Amino acid sequence: MPIEIDFFLNNINYIGAMVLFVIGLYTVLTHPNLIKKVIGINIMETSVFLFFVSIGFISGANAPIVEQGQAAETVVNPLPSAMILTGIVVAIGVTAFALSLIVKIHEAYGTIELDEIMQIRSAEKND
Amino acid sequence: MINIHFPIFILTLLLAFATIIPLQKRPFDRRFQVIMMSVLVVSLVMAIGELIYVIDHGAYSYTFGSYERGIGIEFLVDEFSVLMTAVVIVIAFFILLYSIRDLEHEIDPSRIYSYYTLIFLLLFAMIGMIFTNDIFNMYVFVEILSITSVAIIAIKNKKDSLMASMKYLIMGTIGSITVLMGFALIYMVTGHLNMTLIAEEIVLVWEQYPLNILLAMGFILTGFGIKAAIFPLHNWLPDAHSSAPTPSSAFLSGLVVKAYVFAIAKMIYRVVGPDISTNIGLTDYILIFAVLSIIMGSVYALSQTDIKRRLAYSSVAQIGYIFLGLGLATDLGISAALFHVISHAFMKSALFLSAGSIIYLTGKRHVKDLSGIAYTMPVTMTVFCIGTLGMIGIPATSGFMSKWYLGLASLDAGQPELLIVILISSFLNALYYLPIVISAFLQEKPSRETIVVVSTQGTTVPRSMKISMALVGAGVIIIGLFPNIVMDIINMAVPTFIE
Repeated sequence: MPIEIDFFLNNINYIGAMVLFVIGLYTVLTHPNLIKKVIGINIMETSVFLFFVSIGFISGANAPIVEQGQAAETVVNPLPSAMILTGIVVAIGVTAFALSLIVKIHEAYGTIELDEIMQIRSAEKND
Repeated sequence: MINIHFPIFILTLLLAFATIIPLQKRPFDRRFQVIMMSVLVVSLVMAIGELIYVIDHGAYSYTFGSYERGIGIEFLVDEFSVLMTAVVIVIAFFILLYSIRDLEHEIDPSRIYSYYTLIFLLLFAMIGMIFTNDIFNMYVFVEILSITSVAIIAIKNKKDSLMASMKYLIMGTIGSITVLMGFALIYMVTGHLNMTLIAEEIVLVWEQYPLNILLAMGFILTGFGIKAAIFPLHNWLPDAHSSAPTPSSAFLSGLVVKAYVFAIAKMIYRVVGPDISTNIGLTDYILIFAVLSIIMGSVYALSQTDIKRRLAYSSVAQIGYIFLGLGLATDLGISAALFHVISHAFMKSALFLSAGSIIYLTGKRHVKDLSGIAYTMPVTMTVFCIGTLGMIGIPATSGFMSKWYLGLASLDAGQPELLIVILISSFLNALYYLPIVISAFLQEKPSRETIVVVSTQGTTVPRSMKISMALVGAGVIIIGLFPNIVMDIINMAVPTFIE
């Protein structure tokens, strides 16, 4: 049975968003390095933004600027893009906060590898 | 009618005060404490004024900037959200009263102003989440809430609290991203962000896209489930709640988790609607995870030896009760769940505050070290005892009433096996709470004089801490003896959930 290429091509941004989401989640869950975890979170965020912006996109349509007297043409929905602008700001805030926490963790433990931190903590517990 | 603006006044007051605090140059003194408390008192007065207005005139929606519904952001002010706001402010008042003396030995003195900034931002975000009727607005409040609630743990700057807050931050961010993905799917189906309009639209289209709505609700429930610590996603909670400073633990366990639960209740009942939720099988999943939470939370709590960790695991079980009520999808179930939101807020704050003052005075966290401690700290242990009796469900405490309502609701819904789950969990609660109380009150330790010697903070708990604990404990008893104060308001609000 032939794969429906059209289906994939028409929905490529949604499929890409979902693939990115899973890649990001995988990175967060499997990497012991805290910076890489933050990168994974960023990938997940990007995937959601891609997904959200794709909802409003119409191929070939213009920006929603309608001049007085002109007939309204097909326009792209601007609302998702506006919301994602907020989303990006929030994502930057979270990333900055996570990185500053990682600096503090590096000061406290001398490493940002989760497995080494666990070793240090279990060694402290046994003392 | 100025009353209809009160929710916005409360939010603006809290936000403005949060931004003013960092400008303070004077040391942390009595003058600042009085201003801080009076801000909370003013917001409480406004919340109560709003409550009276809403009880008289019924729920209403408040649109910003006179944009019509669907274009502007909208607040839905109903009886329960106003009651919840009042409860949040009351408990915040007691916790802050407690924190004035407790904080100075838990965090660096130079950070005290930052701490209160974070607390007021947290209250702002929580109350915003309670009122909002717009899903993207809710996402923004969720993010503010999750960042501030991580920050009030990390501010302790100890090794374990840093790791706990990192874990909480990662889990919490995954949660909010997942929630946003769910919102995107809902927006895709309905084309609205306003919850009321979404609900109207979903009724028309759900038969066309049942899978899409199930997927969206799956994302949203998983996301909020991480933040509300439902059983398989509860991993971050014990570390975060036990390593935080005591006032933060009380805030996180008593209030913050409830805000997320209330968000879930809104999404299930106001956005998707009880009929469709039941039809696509949403409520069955919730019941399964609720039962798992109730049992596993108690089982984990049994094996903990640190008093704060034991309380934190017990939160997982108690969140399970709330989800149990929500999963029943009946009037009685929802009102029982909402009642437990409030009764658990009082009980868990009482428990965390009294456990915190044990740690404040003696520095002991291990449950075995607490025998005979009631001789030196009678007020603290009495409050702790009230809290534990409430958790077990002894009559005359609010915990008994919430279990009573939950039991009635599960019988009414024709699922008596859930009643058995509640009973088993009550026995487990008794197993892990009662030994602490019994040994504290009845066992005299030969070495109990040394407890006093070890202390560096003087020989008694400061009066402000005692008063705040006692008042929270009194709240547990009052709600237990007069549950109708709360239940009447909840019953008025339930029709806004089930239409």
